Amino acid sequence: MELDETSIAKKGGRYFLLNPESKRLVSDDFFYAGAYLGKERRGVFFPSFILLAMIAERKEANKIIVDDKTEWLFIVGRDVFKRGILQVVGSRRKNAHTLVMNKRGECLGFGRILHNLEEGEAKPKVAVENVSDVGDFLRRERTIEH
Amino acid sequence: MSGKQFFVDRYNKLGWNYKPVELKQAIRININNVGEADLVRRFESRRIKLEPIPFLSHAYWIRKSPFSVGATTEYLLGYYSIQEAAAQIPATLFADLEDKVVLDACAAPGGKTVQLADLMHNTGVIFALDIEKRRLTALANHLERCHIENTIAYLMDARSVSHLKIKFDRILLDVPCSGNFATDKQWFQRRTIEDVQRNAELQRQILAEAVRILHDDGEIVYSTCSLESEENELNIDWATKHLNVQAEPIVCYGETASTEVLGKQLSSSIANCKRIWPTQTQGFFVCKLKKRVDP
Repeated sequence: MELDETSIAKKGGRYFLLNPESKRLVSDDFFYAGAYLGKERRGVFFPSFILLAMIAERKEANKIIVDDKTEWLFIVGRDVFKRGILQVVGSRRKNAHTLVMNKRGECLGFGRILHNLEEGEAKPKVAVENVSDVGDFLRRERTIEH
Repeated sequence: MSGKQFFVDRYNKLGWNYKPVELKQAIRININNVGEADLVRRFESRRIKLEPIPFLSHAYWIRKSPFSVGATTEYLLGYYSIQEAAAQIPATLFADLEDKVVLDACAAPGGKTVQLADLMHNTGVIFALDIEKRRLTALANHLERCHIENTIAYLMDARSVSHLKIKFDRILLDVPCSGNFATDKQWFQRRTIEDVQRNAELQRQILAEAVRILHDDGEIVYSTCSLESEENELNIDWATKHLNVQAEPIVCYGETASTEVLGKQLSSSIANCKRIWPTQTQGFFVCKLKKRVDP
């Protein structure tokens, strides 16, 4: 996936994609601008949910599609059990990162595959570790309130 | 001067008899992110009962919900925002918004910013300001959740916007205000007329700065959720007399504002403002201002 680097603004380890008008008008002291892409901490990049949704539109992205119960558990921060996975698109390899999608094709976050997802393997309990899920918005609200 | 009776007497003089009100929770669909009919079906499948708000578009009251509507997948995906009904009115009053340079001068926590972005179909630019970093963080989360791509947020006092050296086509002034009893059960115990006057003075300073940075053919929408005339009709009357602006006709829910308030005769254009007493919604005041074009 390629983004026009000249349209990307960086602020305190956070990256933003600007439309041409925002790029023309923004000044250095902004707090937030355009489409938030994610943040870098100690050399590791954490994608935003806007970026994850952009990646999800691409055919080559790794994805697992999960059932309704697993969707609910995932957005409250739980890992994904193999029995909750309806379909795997792309990599099934251990340690690969994969988007977690619901049955409607909506991106709920992403995780790391803990065991090869090859069919016929002995079924491990947890198949995909939750790295980030949209329920994070609620957790952030609670942090701000307190 | 304070206390419930003091304020209730003032409302009486303005023509409204005080009644307690229970507010219904309201949502607004972000139509850039989801089809309205599809989302309504999804609510029904979750046994959430909706009632369309008759004076708004893409807006519903929550009649019944087995769980919090602030914790559904659809909410977390930015398909709708929880936004009180009257608070949804100001952003809808601008003539047109697409491709415009818009200022949301007192923006956090961002409900109206997201609504503006939705009305603009993510075109143009919104400058969203607030003076508290904590509130701006809440705004940033709201923007990310709703996939807003046209907004630049600054930690900045609305009275210092000229520092940006930008002229704006549209300015939303949902100014800090005294609030009202419908959203704050302790309001009558908390508030005094001195608070109201202090807020009114701050609002005048914000208004004056906004007029300075408005394009000659631009529009300001001014709103408060205060019921006190000092923050509403009297401030707009002051603006018409000192800032070379006039209140323009608007079509929205609410009563015609009075041109005679607390014994003072106000400019005739104040009748173009709308006052909303707390009945179906919280209390609100809203108007649209344009620069006066002298012949």
